[in-house]
Amino acid sequence: MSRALGLVLLGAVALFALAGPVVIAADPAAQDLSAILHPPSPQHPLGTDHLGRDLAARLAHGTRLSLGLAILSVLSAAVPGVLLGLAAAASGGLVDRALASLADATMALPGLLLVLLVAGLAPGKVWPLWLGLSAALWVQYFRLTRATAAVLLASPEVEASRLLGFGPAYILRRHLWPRLAPPLAALAAFGVAGAVMAIGALGFIGIGLRPPMAEWGLMMTELLPHYHDAPWALAWPSALLFLTVLGLQLLAGARR
Amino acid sequence: MSGLVVTDLAVIARDGARPVDGVSFSLRPGVPLTLLGETGSGKTLVAQAVMGTLAPDLRATGSIRFEGRELIGLAGRERRAFWGRRIALLPQEPWLALDPTMRAARQVKEVFALVRGLGQREAAERTRAALRAVGLEGAERAFPFQLSGGMAQRLAFAATAASEAALLIADEPTKGLDAALRDGVALLLGAVAASRRMLLTITHDVSVARRLGGEVAIMLEGRIVEHGPAEAVLAAPRHDYARRLVAAEPAAWPKRRHPPPGPVVLAGRRLAKRYGPRTLFANLSLAVHAGETVAVTGPSGSGKTTLGNVLLGLVHADAGTLSRAPGVARVRFQKLWQDPPAAFARGVPLGRLIEDLARRHGIARAPIEALLARLRLSPGLLGRSAEAISGGELQRFALARALLLDPVFLFADEPTSRLDPITQQETIALLADTAAERGLALLLVTHDADIAARVAARRLDVAAGEVRMVA
Repeated sequence: MSRALGLVLLGAVALFALAGPVVIAADPAAQDLSAILHPPSPQHPLGTDHLGRDLAARLAHGTRLSLGLAILSVLSAAVPGVLLGLAAAASGGLVDRALASLADATMALPGLLLVLLVAGLAPGKVWPLWLGLSAALWVQYFRLTRATAAVLLASPEVEASRLLGFGPAYILRRHLWPRLAPPLAALAAFGVAGAVMAIGALGFIGIGLRPPMAEWGLMMTELLPHYHDAPWALAWPSALLFLTVLGLQLLAGARR
Repeated sequence: MSGLVVTDLAVIARDGARPVDGVSFSLRPGVPLTLLGETGSGKTLVAQAVMGTLAPDLRATGSIRFEGRELIGLAGRERRAFWGRRIALLPQEPWLALDPTMRAARQVKEVFALVRGLGQREAAERTRAALRAVGLEGAERAFPFQLSGGMAQRLAFAATAASEAALLIADEPTKGLDAALRDGVALLLGAVAASRRMLLTITHDVSVARRLGGEVAIMLEGRIVEHGPAEAVLAAPRHDYARRLVAAEPAAWPKRRHPPPGPVVLAGRRLAKRYGPRTLFANLSLAVHAGETVAVTGPSGSGKTTLGNVLLGLVHADAGTLSRAPGVARVRFQKLWQDPPAAFARGVPLGRLIEDLARRHGIARAPIEALLARLRLSPGLLGRSAEAISGGELQRFALARALLLDPVFLFADEPTSRLDPITQQETIALLADTAAERGLALLLVTHDADIAARVAARRLDVAAGEVRMVA
């Protein structure tokens, strides 16, 4: 039930991100200073912001950017995290200790601080944000994979398959992956939610992406001073962020 | 009106099934009653009905009169008032029931002080006496993890017995224990009965029933099929199932004839293995011949499993050499595990696992089907996963899986310790027959000296570190 609701919410947000920029003809950066902070109207379905830009167009582009960047960050954190986790569990010894220490060292830095450090390399660009988020997120996938795989690799079922002459590929496919996939999927859903929040928070405090780019956190910062004149304008990105995170949490929670 | 009188007890599930039906017995102080039966026979449900701990989707009908009061129909709160005061339960696997953060003496003293309401001084005194009675003096300040399995069992017993409840229920008190610990528990339970209290023991171990004496009731599919004095029932059972159950006791098995052994298939010379500071075995030499069964015995934790794993090459020995028969592929050295479901990929249909194996080693379909039929495994089981079939069937499946690779050596690590007695007898017989037929060297780890004596040509006692011929 909650899983279906989560899927519907996410599907709606994803559809908005994919189809929105195509359907909405307005340029998200085009200013019209004669029509600032207009309420929703047939011309601007979600109203305009303090520079007269079409909020629907900005929101659609922002959704594409926020969600796309978050999913990309989680993927590029999960893939190396899982691979390193498998390598650590399978080889043990020195390799395991070295990888675990690297993960511990990463965890010693607060995630957002790590993102800030990398983001400082090229302020306002997308790639340092992506790199920073991936660098902060991979540890979770590494730890989950390593812990689960280490227990399984020492279990009678894997011992049996080895004695029966099966190789590592079979053990991965038959024993490890079926047990790893569900918690990894849950972790990835939580991870996307966390990354969306982090990108928003960084945009909000002015360290992440820069204007005139459209991004949820950035839009909230820009619209916050105009809250009294146009509360609806601030409500749109906030509501989208809330619905996305809620959808991901419902999906991840139901999977456990 | 002392005693426990159960009349026409039935346990009914929501879907109308009756896992227990028409059970009647009475229990008097001083005469213990043992309910014997296999897993799923409903014996634990009888104990739960008496205790009042049935699962919420089960209900009991009939009558359970305890000290003149009818227990069926009492509210949960009224049932709980009996617990630990009038009716006490000795838990299964006591090391899980003890509080891991509480010292031994306090676990017992709490019962005296809180349940019996004695003063601190008297409670402390009684605790000392109770621990002395079970041979735990000196272990008062130990935590459960510092105790051996047998000591934990005795501590749990002391804590349970401290209540001096009129009725003591022991649910599978010997589950997971080796022979020496099993006899120790039977001795303690016997003392309870001798002190003119009521004792209801649930077990599948015929030898426990024999040691306790008193009365025995044998359960099958939710009903009591035979009931009477222990001596008479166990010496001359009348019901067909009861006969099979008593005959399945390893001490009653026929002795096997041993064919002359073939060439050596696997030999270890001067093997040594330490586990932390403990030496499991040192300077141990052993040669296993084709077609012979060698039993490995010894107390729990003595390194029986490790020895087998060393011989298979799964664990490296600290010292010594290992030689396999030349020209024999590694996959022809196989193993059976103690807990059958743990040795299969979870949630995968067994048929697919067999297919995987056939594809990996290019085995044709016909011999697989013949082997499954020989091991009495119906094709219907192939669609199910390991968790969905019985332990006995699964262990036969594990045997089939190993036999498909035409092994020369099979290490069976307590393959029947989790199976019911009749299933155990069938499984061991099948293993030994297969070994004899195929000229397979079988290394059988068991904690049961009777099994070792009936099945094996030679016996290796790991604690002693030497190979001994069975007389």
